[in-house]
Amino acid sequence: MKLSEFIRPASLAEARKSLRQLGPKGMPLAGGTALHFMPGKTPVTAVDITRLGLSYIKQKGDFFVIGAATPLADIQRYRGPRWAMHEICRRISTHQVRNVSTIGGNIARVFPWADLPVVLLAMDARLVIYSGKEKDMPADEYFSSQPARLFRGGDLLTAVKIPVLKAHHGFGSVKATRNATAFSLVTIAALLELKGGIIKSARVAAGSGIPFPQRLKPVEAALAGKEASTAVFREAAAAAGAAARWVGGEGMSADYIRQLAEVSILDALERAAEFARGRAA
Amino acid sequence: MTKTDHTVNFTLNGEKKTFATRPDEKLLALLRREGYRGTKYGCGQGTCGACTVLLDGRATYACLLYAMQAEGRAVRTIESAGTFDNPSEFQKQLVAAGAVQCGYCIPGMVMSATALMETEAVLEDEIVKEYMDGNLCRCTGYEKIWVALRKTLDKQAAAPARARRKSSSKGSKK
Ligand SMILES: Cc1cc2nc3c(=O)[nH]c(=O)nc-3n(C[C@H](O)[C@H](O)[C@H](O)COP(=O)(O)OP(=O)(O)OC[C@H]3O[C@@H](n4cnc5c(N)ncnc54)[C@H](O)[C@@H]3O)c2cc1C
Ligand code: FES
Ligand code: FES
Repeated sequence: MKLSEFIRPASLAEARKSLRQLGPKGMPLAGGTALHFMPGKTPVTAVDITRLGLSYIKQKGDFFVIGAATPLADIQRYRGPRWAMHEICRRISTHQVRNVSTIGGNIARVFPWADLPVVLLAMDARLVIYSGKEKDMPADEYFSSQPARLFRGGDLLTAVKIPVLKAHHGFGSVKATRNATAFSLVTIAALLELKGGIIKSARVAAGSGIPFPQRLKPVEAALAGKEASTAVFREAAAAAGAAARWVGGEGMSADYIRQLAEVSILDALERAAEFARGRAA
Repeated sequence: MTKTDHTVNFTLNGEKKTFATRPDEKLLALLRREGYRGTKYGCGQGTCGACTVLLDGRATYACLLYAMQAEGRAVRTIESAGTFDNPSEFQKQLVAAGAVQCGYCIPGMVMSATALMETEAVLEDEIVKEYMDGNLCRCTGYEKIWVALRKTLDKQAAAPARARRKSSSKGSKK
């Protein structure tokens, strides 16, 4: 992406006003790490949104609220009660990228390999959008198609709200890669609500290896009401093929990616159950 | 709409500086044309780490940062870490371990290690690997770099806390 101008608005309202005036000739800039890779023949004005107080993490009632311009490294370092976001952030790219790239930049325009949409779908997060005033929407709606659609009019993502996990909830994420810092082949995230040994509800999402991050509804259906056991998890994972259209690439067949997804689902579910049991006491 | 003029102000290795730039220019390009040639251009796309500098004390790829993003911040390059006549402890250990072959990756390695040493109190292998995960070396196979770094860290851990604080504030004037 070519930049013709670079502006630093003094407030959120001013940033939105500039973006509205600029239309397709403007582009919010957070960490800027994705901007370098975005195609585009016409140069744009970068509107720097990193100086508007949007970098923070705080616990507010039943939610952790993460400012949209918070770097991934800060999310990785943060610790709160039953906090589960650090694991996936540690697995994104390298130290230098995590120091600069932001949660907002990862999810405002979703690239096929993005890991955070997967986690936020499973966690039933809420996304806060500023359009003169702030309004939030559930992850299911936000990620129903490319979220960039929501920001064309100059609106901005300002925060991500993540429910604080309750005692009987557990979360697990798995990112399958060829080496430690590589893009994901398959990313899976699972949230389990247990009661006794039974799964009361489950949210399972996937990304990479499929065209766009999504929930795996047939996998979730195979879990609800059943015992939280490896046999049940294995059976649910086998529904992955019916749940999404897995695609191959880089010498890997679609069938291989589906198998990788099944193993990753099993792994994520085991981790989620362990989280729920281990920290429930 | 407030347009910025095409200059950028930041503290470079402890000195306040103003540079003419373009909105499109990467910090790496600016640094190199201004004579800070120790910061290297490797891949230009955020994978190799040869361009690593510190931005407000955090390791960052200068090839992925627009120069304009550094406005008002503190940038530190390899030139602040040590000189040929007065190398830093890690630089000395790298030479002693025979860890420098072509040498292209070394400035980036030193900057990532600097961030590590100035930020972390406990220097276990896991955390060291985390800070060094964005620096590739195509020559050495890493073993000797790791040996040199571990020696430097163990030496730092053994040093009295006061001396450590003093040496870590070096070059980080804001
Ligand atoms: C080498 C490398 C490896 C990577 N590997 C991974 C990986 O394995 N997994 C992964 O998930 N990601 C990975 N990434 C992606 C990285 O996380 C993204 O580059 C990053 O998330 C973008 O964040 P940013 O803050 O730099 O966004 P920017 O580049 O500043 O912005 C990205 C896009 O989002 C828009 N935008 C940003 N913030 C907002 C907002 N608040 N409101 C509205 N629009 C906004 C921008 O206009 C732009 O279109 C990798 C990146 C690099 C460079
Ligand atoms: S030149 Fe910047 S990471 Fe390779
Ligand atoms: S010594 Fe040549 S790349 Fe590291």
